[in-house]
Amino acid sequence: MAVAWIDQLVLEAQKKVDEVEVFFVKGISVSAELKQKKVNLAVTSKDCGLGIRTIHNGKIGSSGTNDPDQWRECLNAAIASGKLATPQIWEGLPASLPLSQTPLSYDASLEVEPAVVIDLIENMLAGAAEHPAEVTAGSASLSSATVTLANSNGVRYTNQHTGISLSLEAIHNQSTGYEFDHSSFMDKMDPVAVGERATFFAMESDNGKDIATGEYDILLSPLAYGELLGNVFIPALSGRNVHAGRSRLGQSLGEAVIDPRITMYDDPMIKKANGSVRWDAEGTPTRRVDFIRDGILETFAYDLKTAYRFGKSSTGNAIRGGFGGLPSIGHHNFVVDGERNEIADERVVYAHNVVGAHTANPMSGEFSVELSNPFWMEGGEYETPIRSAMLSGNVFDMHKSIAGLSKESRALGSLILPSIKITKQRIIGK
Amino acid sequence: MEGVRYYDVRHVTGQVTHIDIDNSVVESAGTSFFNNAVIRVLRTTGWGVLQIDNYTPCHGKEFDSLLRSACRLAGITQGNVVLGDVPHGILPVPFMKEDPRDVDIEEKSALLSGIEQAATHPLVVNRRANYIEKIENVHFTDSSENEYSYEMCRSGFNVMAVASRNGNVQMGYEREHSIHGFNLRHQQGLGKQAADIAVALLDAGAAKGGKMRAVLDPELAGVFAHEAVGHASEGDLVQEGNSVLKGKTGQKIGNENLTIIDDPGIPEFGFDPVDAEGVAVLRTEIIKKGVINAYLHNRETLSSVGNGVAGHARAMPGEPPLVRMSNTFIEAGDATEDEIFEECRNGIFLKGSRGGQVDPGRGIFQFNAEYGYLIENGVCTKMVRDVSLSGEILTTLHGIALCGNKRAMSPGYCGKGGQSVPVSDGAPHILLNDAVVGGSGVD
Repeated sequence: MAVAWIDQLVLEAQKKVDEVEVFFVKGISVSAELKQKKVNLAVTSKDCGLGIRTIHNGKIGSSGTNDPDQWRECLNAAIASGKLATPQIWEGLPASLPLSQTPLSYDASLEVEPAVVIDLIENMLAGAAEHPAEVTAGSASLSSATVTLANSNGVRYTNQHTGISLSLEAIHNQSTGYEFDHSSFMDKMDPVAVGERATFFAMESDNGKDIATGEYDILLSPLAYGELLGNVFIPALSGRNVHAGRSRLGQSLGEAVIDPRITMYDDPMIKKANGSVRWDAEGTPTRRVDFIRDGILETFAYDLKTAYRFGKSSTGNAIRGGFGGLPSIGHHNFVVDGERNEIADERVVYAHNVVGAHTANPMSGEFSVELSNPFWMEGGEYETPIRSAMLSGNVFDMHKSIAGLSKESRALGSLILPSIKITKQRIIGK
Repeated sequence: MEGVRYYDVRHVTGQVTHIDIDNSVVESAGTSFFNNAVIRVLRTTGWGVLQIDNYTPCHGKEFDSLLRSACRLAGITQGNVVLGDVPHGILPVPFMKEDPRDVDIEEKSALLSGIEQAATHPLVVNRRANYIEKIENVHFTDSSENEYSYEMCRSGFNVMAVASRNGNVQMGYEREHSIHGFNLRHQQGLGKQAADIAVALLDAGAAKGGKMRAVLDPELAGVFAHEAVGHASEGDLVQEGNSVLKGKTGQKIGNENLTIIDDPGIPEFGFDPVDAEGVAVLRTEIIKKGVINAYLHNRETLSSVGNGVAGHARAMPGEPPLVRMSNTFIEAGDATEDEIFEECRNGIFLKGSRGGQVDPGRGIFQFNAEYGYLIENGVCTKMVRDVSLSGEILTTLHGIALCGNKRAMSPGYCGKGGQSVPVSDGAPHILLNDAVVGGSGVD
């Protein structure tokens, strides 16, 4: 159900270029921020963005603006931009399909109102009060947005999306704790637990003991694992990086690349998951994509542009970070799965998070990160906190020495991950 | 309006032009437009803030209605925000030698392509070059009738080369960003350098982790100052109790030769002519001769924490201002480069930066070099890859034994609270004793 000016834009564009795609997002959000235990700042935001992509003789152009009234100027800028692009094989934007317009990551009962934000914050602070650590900062936000995707091939799709985000930071002496949560659905949020975990980690990590440099078995929480996976491993599954020679996995299709008990896939249809969506940012219907099944690399992720250029098919993995620029390759709900067991029974070094994962080498997979809230863990219990530990290794190689996946998974944005245990990893102590 | 103690409006309009060339293919090139505003209001308690896309400046009843909306939000806050008294004023924006807007995009694309082509080498499997040019027109007004307008243009490029041999994949990365105008001319040398480094790294070994002496080049030492000291000195973190530097003013944290500055007023990449709250920008000596001296502030943290000056509030278009660094650097000392390597004798020389991160409350930081060399008997020998450094803020700075006599600044971007702002970091070469070096190599 597009608005009239979008139809007008498409008609106007068709006089000048082969194809046009319109991406229009309009949304509202309300948030509040804590300074220690008091709400210091409250914000409402009204967001609006228009992105236009044109294709003419295989040349792709784009532009964006916050002001939809300026769509003519924006269209002209997109057409001008296309003139510079190198032409490529282009077989057309997707045609319109009778896809359900019922949104998958939308909570119709969510009220984007300050009172709801305050309620979430009060519950988070109630949870935080369970341990005597000091709250330093925190936030709660609610958002609701409508996305319209239209193209000159008849597509007129709309999707609604809601989001609830919480975070809390705490400190006890010189020990910090941080926890957060995000979901599209209010009934999946547990503000009390977010608060409780933040002060728990700040409390429990105080008085850490030194650890000697050496090799250890490590248990990475979903948060710590997600940092390494998201910065290094997932980009190597992008078709664009593969064909550009920027992926270490590029030559390994059909080969065993990780432990045979592990499977990695993107599933855009998971009920109530944050990234669930019926079509991707270009209007290609989404589907489950199995990147790695039982340790074997089966496929990479593609959008239309990369697929057309390299004789592949789009896997429905086009995403947009915002309204400007071109769609890029990403995922909707990226899942790591496999045989689950008790992985915290034997003595391991547990890390709740890592500091500096973005400094890893995305080509080779080499990384060195500081562990956040590291503990000696045994029988599933946080036993002794460790003062400071640097973990060095290789994200690709570490997936070959996986000792197990935890029984529970956690949703972190668009990642759904278990904790993982990896053996014989190098720690540099103090 | 009645009951309004303070308000300000920061409206930013502008355009972003980009070019992305990947292995000779112009993937995308063009211009997008933005229009974002933030209205902040104080009544009796904390901030009520409106973020508005596609804002049209307004007056009278229309503006009052916006203020009322912001007041309703302020009504749910509890804290008592007090604003410090501050000097106002605006610096002139540095002159651009060549305005990027005077160069058409076809020429920009051809020049960028030249830089990308210069990274050609038989072992290089991918070359990528990006150009980015952002023009911001900023208009600021507040309830005390302060009003400022200025235009800033930042432009520059990144070039990356990926070398591959027998499954070993390495990268070289160079960048140059500036507030002084168009900088794509005569830069092929950086494309070649990216390729040379990527290829050389194919033969580099993994660094062996552990405690050792390290020499940091000016770029990496600048990141060290940014991560190890800069963030923890931000007044909002001090106010929240989330900085190990809280309550430590006057405490000796490093040697006499160590002075660390943040100065938004110098003409480097993090330059602001006036801060995001309309406050005049001033230099802050965070560490003075090894002693913790002052924090970075906005008006709120200045009044709440004290000790330092405001003028360090910065914001992305359409976002509320936060206390941020701008141009952060270690002052030059008196050691020559030769003296630094001679004094190091045996250790590691770390060059370039892949970024860093800090937990300011815990006082732990981490950052990563692009590559390095072993230092044996005062001389650089074998090249090493993937080296990072971590440390504790309160103890590591004592390890800075020597500061070189020449300082250089490097441009970059810094993230905080979901906002990314342009910064520069810099330092002379420094010698760091007892550096905790991370790397996966073993004997």
